[in-house]
Amino acid sequence: MIKHKIILSLSLIVLVASCTKDITSLNNDPKNPPVVYSYSLYTNAQKNLARTLASSNVNLNIFRLITQYWQETTYLGESRYDLNTRNIPSNAWQALYRDVLKDLDAARALIPEDVEDPAVQKNQLAMLDILEVYSYYYLVTTYGNIPYTKAMNIDSVFPKYDDAKTVYTDLLRRLNADIDALDPAVAGFGSADIIYGSDIEKWLKFANSFKLKMAITIADEDAATAKTAAEEAAQAGVFSSNADNAKFVFKASPPNTNPLWEDLVQSGRKDFVAASTIINNMKQLDDPRIPLYFTEDAEGDYSGGEPGMSSSYGTFSKPDEKLVNPEYPHTLLDYSEVLFLLAEASERGFNVGGDAATHYANAIRASILDWGGTEEEANLYLLNTSVAYGTASGDFREKIGIQKWIALYNRGWDSWLEWKRLDYPELQPAYRANSAIPVRFTYPVNEQNYNTRNWNEAASAIGGDKVDTKLWYDKF
Amino acid sequence: MRKMLSLLAVVVLYATIVSGQTRTVTGQVKDAKGDPIPFATIKIKGENTGVSADANGNFSINAGPNATVVVSAVGFEPFEVQVGSSNTLSINLSNAGALSEVVVTALGIKRTRNQLPYAAQSIEGNEVSKTRISNFVTGLSGKISGLEIRQSNSLGGSSNVVLRGVKSFVGNNQALFVVDGVPYNNDNTNTSNQLTGRGGYDYGNAAADLNPDDIESVSVLKGAAATALYGSRGSNGVILITTKKRSRGLGITVNSGATLGFIDKKTMATYQKEYGGGYGAYYEDPSGFFLYRDVDGDGQKDLVTPLSEDASWGGAFDPNLMVYQWDAFDPESPNYKKARPWVAAANDPSDFFEKPVSFNHSVYIDGGSDKGTFKLGYTRADDKGILPNSSITKNLVSLGATYNITDRLTAGVAMNFSNINGKGRYGTGYDDKNVMTSFRQWWQTNVDVKELKDAYFRSRKNVTWNWADPDNLVPIYWDNPYFVRYENFENDRRDRLFGNVNLNYKVTDWLNILGRIGHDTYDELQEERQAVGSVGVPIYSRFNRSYRETNFDLMVNMDKDISTDFNFKALLGTNIRKQHTKSILASTNGGLAIPGIYSLSNTVNPLNAPDEFDGRREVDGYFAGATLSYRNMLTLDGTIRRDQSSTLPKGNNVYYYPSVSLGFVFSQLLPQIGWLSYGKLRTNYAEVGNDAPMYSVLDVYNIVPPFGSEPTTTVPNTKNNPNLKPERTRSAEIGLEMQFLKNRVGFDITYYRTRTVDQILPLAISTATGYSFKYLNAGTIENKGIELSINATPVQTTNFSWTTNINWTRNRNKVLELFEGSDNLVLASFQNGVSLNATLGQPYGTIRSSNFVYKDGQRVVDEDGYYVFSETSNEVIGNPNPDWIGGINNTIKFKNFALSFLVDVRKGGQLYSLDLAYGFDTGLYPETAGLNDQGKPVRAPLSEGGGVILPGVTEDGKPNTTRVSAEEYGLFGTDFVPNAGFIYDASYVKLRETVLTYSLPQSTMARLAPFKGIDLSLIGRNLWLIHKNLPYADPEDMISAGNYQGYQGGVYPTTRTIAFNVRLRF
Repeated sequence: MIKHKIILSLSLIVLVASCTKDITSLNNDPKNPPVVYSYSLYTNAQKNLARTLASSNVNLNIFRLITQYWQETTYLGESRYDLNTRNIPSNAWQALYRDVLKDLDAARALIPEDVEDPAVQKNQLAMLDILEVYSYYYLVTTYGNIPYTKAMNIDSVFPKYDDAKTVYTDLLRRLNADIDALDPAVAGFGSADIIYGSDIEKWLKFANSFKLKMAITIADEDAATAKTAAEEAAQAGVFSSNADNAKFVFKASPPNTNPLWEDLVQSGRKDFVAASTIINNMKQLDDPRIPLYFTEDAEGDYSGGEPGMSSSYGTFSKPDEKLVNPEYPHTLLDYSEVLFLLAEASERGFNVGGDAATHYANAIRASILDWGGTEEEANLYLLNTSVAYGTASGDFREKIGIQKWIALYNRGWDSWLEWKRLDYPELQPAYRANSAIPVRFTYPVNEQNYNTRNWNEAASAIGGDKVDTKLWYDKF
Repeated sequence: MRKMLSLLAVVVLYATIVSGQTRTVTGQVKDAKGDPIPFATIKIKGENTGVSADANGNFSINAGPNATVVVSAVGFEPFEVQVGSSNTLSINLSNAGALSEVVVTALGIKRTRNQLPYAAQSIEGNEVSKTRISNFVTGLSGKISGLEIRQSNSLGGSSNVVLRGVKSFVGNNQALFVVDGVPYNNDNTNTSNQLTGRGGYDYGNAAADLNPDDIESVSVLKGAAATALYGSRGSNGVILITTKKRSRGLGITVNSGATLGFIDKKTMATYQKEYGGGYGAYYEDPSGFFLYRDVDGDGQKDLVTPLSEDASWGGAFDPNLMVYQWDAFDPESPNYKKARPWVAAANDPSDFFEKPVSFNHSVYIDGGSDKGTFKLGYTRADDKGILPNSSITKNLVSLGATYNITDRLTAGVAMNFSNINGKGRYGTGYDDKNVMTSFRQWWQTNVDVKELKDAYFRSRKNVTWNWADPDNLVPIYWDNPYFVRYENFENDRRDRLFGNVNLNYKVTDWLNILGRIGHDTYDELQEERQAVGSVGVPIYSRFNRSYRETNFDLMVNMDKDISTDFNFKALLGTNIRKQHTKSILASTNGGLAIPGIYSLSNTVNPLNAPDEFDGRREVDGYFAGATLSYRNMLTLDGTIRRDQSSTLPKGNNVYYYPSVSLGFVFSQLLPQIGWLSYGKLRTNYAEVGNDAPMYSVLDVYNIVPPFGSEPTTTVPNTKNNPNLKPERTRSAEIGLEMQFLKNRVGFDITYYRTRTVDQILPLAISTATGYSFKYLNAGTIENKGIELSINATPVQTTNFSWTTNINWTRNRNKVLELFEGSDNLVLASFQNGVSLNATLGQPYGTIRSSNFVYKDGQRVVDEDGYYVFSETSNEVIGNPNPDWIGGINNTIKFKNFALSFLVDVRKGGQLYSLDLAYGFDTGLYPETAGLNDQGKPVRAPLSEGGGVILPGVTEDGKPNTTRVSAEEYGLFGTDFVPNAGFIYDASYVKLRETVLTYSLPQSTMARLAPFKGIDLSLIGRNLWLIHKNLPYADPEDMISAGNYQGYQGGVYPTTRTIAFNVRLRF
């Protein structure tokens, strides 16, 4: 009898233990939601996009160094175009595909569940799509052929690459569709849109302005498409003042601060000084933006380090203090840039209204004003014969190239894309550079590792996975 | 301490009362035929010293009436007898081999050696406790074949414990620890940043919480056949720990010891003494090497060290050159506003290390009678590290009791309480909180650490050598290392309760039922801080984690001789395991509002929400096993286990693990061969496996801190998979065990092959998918290897004996399959563009980065004479897997002296040294200075005969003749040399441990009642690094336990220790 009792009590142990009914339910993570609101993903994508473009982190965005706005003080790898040690092409690619495009992609899938009004849905989808087009623009103009039709598809973990020109054409098509879809009478994402607070009129101008940018980007390669798109955009209405500028305003408190503040102030590091190239150019032109762009050097003047050479932090000018405020906005597209594009369009004989000289002068004026300069400074500057469109040396590529380069200060990625296309200013490779000045990024090392077959195909299609391979639109 | 002394007093008093009746017992040891056996060892059970019989087998020993005498002799079975009332004992030993020593196997089942058809190796608990180190896991190194232990040189750091090679690409590869049948959690909470060398602390692994004094034996089950009964968890092998259990009488053991530690200078940097701080000649003074400021206010510009520069590629030392250095700007310094001669520092960073004294004390009481047993042990270890302000205190209490309720029913309880307090653990990796990052990579050779010490203690402020500028006295890259140690320290605590209650019912002589509930629970807190005034953002963070695991076991065991020839054993059981881990990590945001207050509320910006984790796992298992043995000669064993795991999706979550083994003791058939004492052949096959990590099945989103008032969420970087199935390891082994010459010499050799298939891995995928990883079943790894253990007793006489044990392991690992279309899987990305990978067709863990370009085996240089780099940083440049590892363990006994020493060897395997890649770049090491082939200073301008011709050939294959300048920093380091140039051979030969023990002789002990034994030991660890090929560091040191090996950055020098220990037994 006692035996049975013992066996019974031992069995109880097991009974106590096996009270969980369905152990599969333990797979439900109580701390992370299985579904979220689409707008929360949209906000995050905007933030990540702005952070990527604004960053000066040497692991991610080194375009201020390549375009010779800045120069590293001591650790010179990136100033000399070492892209490999810090896996910069992988990090930039990942930032756009994974941290921006994926959140947008996920938001798109959730919008029909979140939003009842089909008209609002339509606006939201268009706003979202514009940001996707904008993000792909940087990918396709930086790397060349990229995964596009097979991107964002988890069943195709090693996606094939699409032809860059085909991708670009489709991006333009999408942008046109978005412009058609936007309805200023209907709401968008509300306050979840950090850039414009869902002002649909502004988004329409943004889309048209960006369309103009996309048109001019390929103007050397496909003038007909460029002409149509540019003229349509100008007709529909592009930015008409600095009030239209697309700026992402950061917050005072981490993790939502401007990455420049993180890299330059919060880190306590002293990695960057001005590069001699931009300082010398601006000094020569007596540019009123010098004190807006840079601090004074040790002698009370402005000076910059030679590209690729060790540069003592104490000696040279540094990026201006206002740039490194945590809330300092990042500009995604502005009026000045649009005017430069219009000037170029006029030069190319596109019917966008106005003339090149006026657009050019207005572009410079808009830049100076947006940077905090005055009308008087702008007027004086435009009287300078080396600045004035009629008297400045060179063809439109040189005139616009140099002034656009100055105006695009602090927007290294955009500046680099324009420099590649216009070939002005004539930058010299850095001291002891690893290569020529890159005109594209090599594909990420992970793509070489995991997506080997498609990577090989893409590399040979564009003419070699090298930093000096010119992309399809870069004709000169 | 005071408490312990009073406890000791009670213990001593008690011991005096119970052990008053010791007397001398004499006897003779004979074999089965009645012939005397010479030189047998006679011990009192539970004690360590004993006596030796003479050549005729005669002995005498002091023993009480309750004592049990244990007699052992090489080649014979050990024999136990209770002394009782008689004064003489006659002892007959039977030959070993008939029924050899008992080995504890899976689920605590004891097996005789003859019935053991798979590889298992045991060592006595004394082997791990005698060195008095507080992490017993490291004490296993070199003592077991097939077991690779890697340890870090940081105080309380983790130990990597891998049996028979890495089997899982990204999963856990650490062996399972089981204590008295209950799994003992060995988690390691090191962050992914820590694991990839980007900073953080090594918080050690939880197995180190066990009290080494409570360990009776350690049995290592290496292959899957031995561990298949553990199901999912057994795939990496099992380390079974049996704690002490005294059957009769009372024993009290007291240990008290002190340890002195000091660094092995061979494993620390050596600095060049020719050039001081700076990166070159581009600063302010006419020479370019110095800043040029008017420091003393006399209107004249003075030379100032380029303070912000963390390199030693500056001006050549010259005692006549007067330079204002970092302390000239410290108002409290005697050198304030004083220039000093420009010379190398008198005290380089190797003087930063302390010579700490650590203490280890323990009391252990155990007893037993017909009614049951009990034990109570307490160990306290106060470990201090070589870094200032570092300590780990451990309080370990073990408590256990069994009670025989009836003849057949026994209740038992065993508990281990541990309390670990860490303070000032060493920073690791590339981090301002790791002083070695600066000492080995970024340093000015003119800076004197003693002066830094004085500067810190004068003000308790961050008076650093690395100011941003003379006009901006904030630290730029590196803090004063003393400030780091005394202000930016961490502290941590772990409180743990581990134990089980069990009931064991003996239904009949051959049938036994065991019910057991085992519980392992701990709570830990890790607090980290960065003080106001440091480089970087001041921060306080706290990490709280709790772990709970409960195991419910019910097991029916049968062991019956079904005829005179056949024995049948059977096992039927169930195991239900429930795990629950919860953690929360919170930190201040954007700085600390009030200096010196480390509280979450003391945050500059509003706090971001903390990171939380809450995960449960349950595995329900049923298992059965049967063993049939014929005449103790032939053993056939089969097991099967069915597991159902919660971490796998429904439909794929039930799986089976079978094993089958055969053992053949062929020496039974060959009694006529006199020199053959024992011979056994064994072979087996098994399948075990792994379930998925928690939360790898269902997709979720992550919530990120809101953007102002806008909520933000994101898609995680890893895509989960609702179709996962368990990963499986298929394993086969064959082994031969032989003993010769009455067991004086023998070996045990095993060949094994395992293949792990269907691996569950977060496959790294193209990020164009929007994800970095996707969970998949993919990939196969194969491990093949040979394990060899050799035992020998070259000398055995009354007063002198020498025994030696050699363990040798060779494992060959190969990645056979990856996901289709991909031929490389990046496991970890380290600093400086170095990655660790699983590459198809290569051993696990290939190191990839930039390589030289070779022509006909020669390094190619470009037209300027510099090395050409490979086009990508994706070339395989190293393999961290050793060719073989081994240990030679010797014990020499002479009268009452015992000397044991262990030589640990690792042959082959490579590592990447970030320390040298950067340190050569910044000119810290002697290789970067001195004279060149022309007898001129290498750093002199080319025009003055300086520079070097880098060994190599030009692109057309001609020898390089172009001299390059070394005026600029970086020529020998990472700026101008591909990372392949910093791959080093990680071989070593170490005198790992040396123990010299003197036991007071029996004759003396007889006069020293109540003591039964007094042992004095001198213990050395890591005393002699006999051989290595890696300059300035210990090739064994690692960043953390885990899968990421083969990378060193900011490593610590080896700590040599000498300990003195007194052991008293009552």
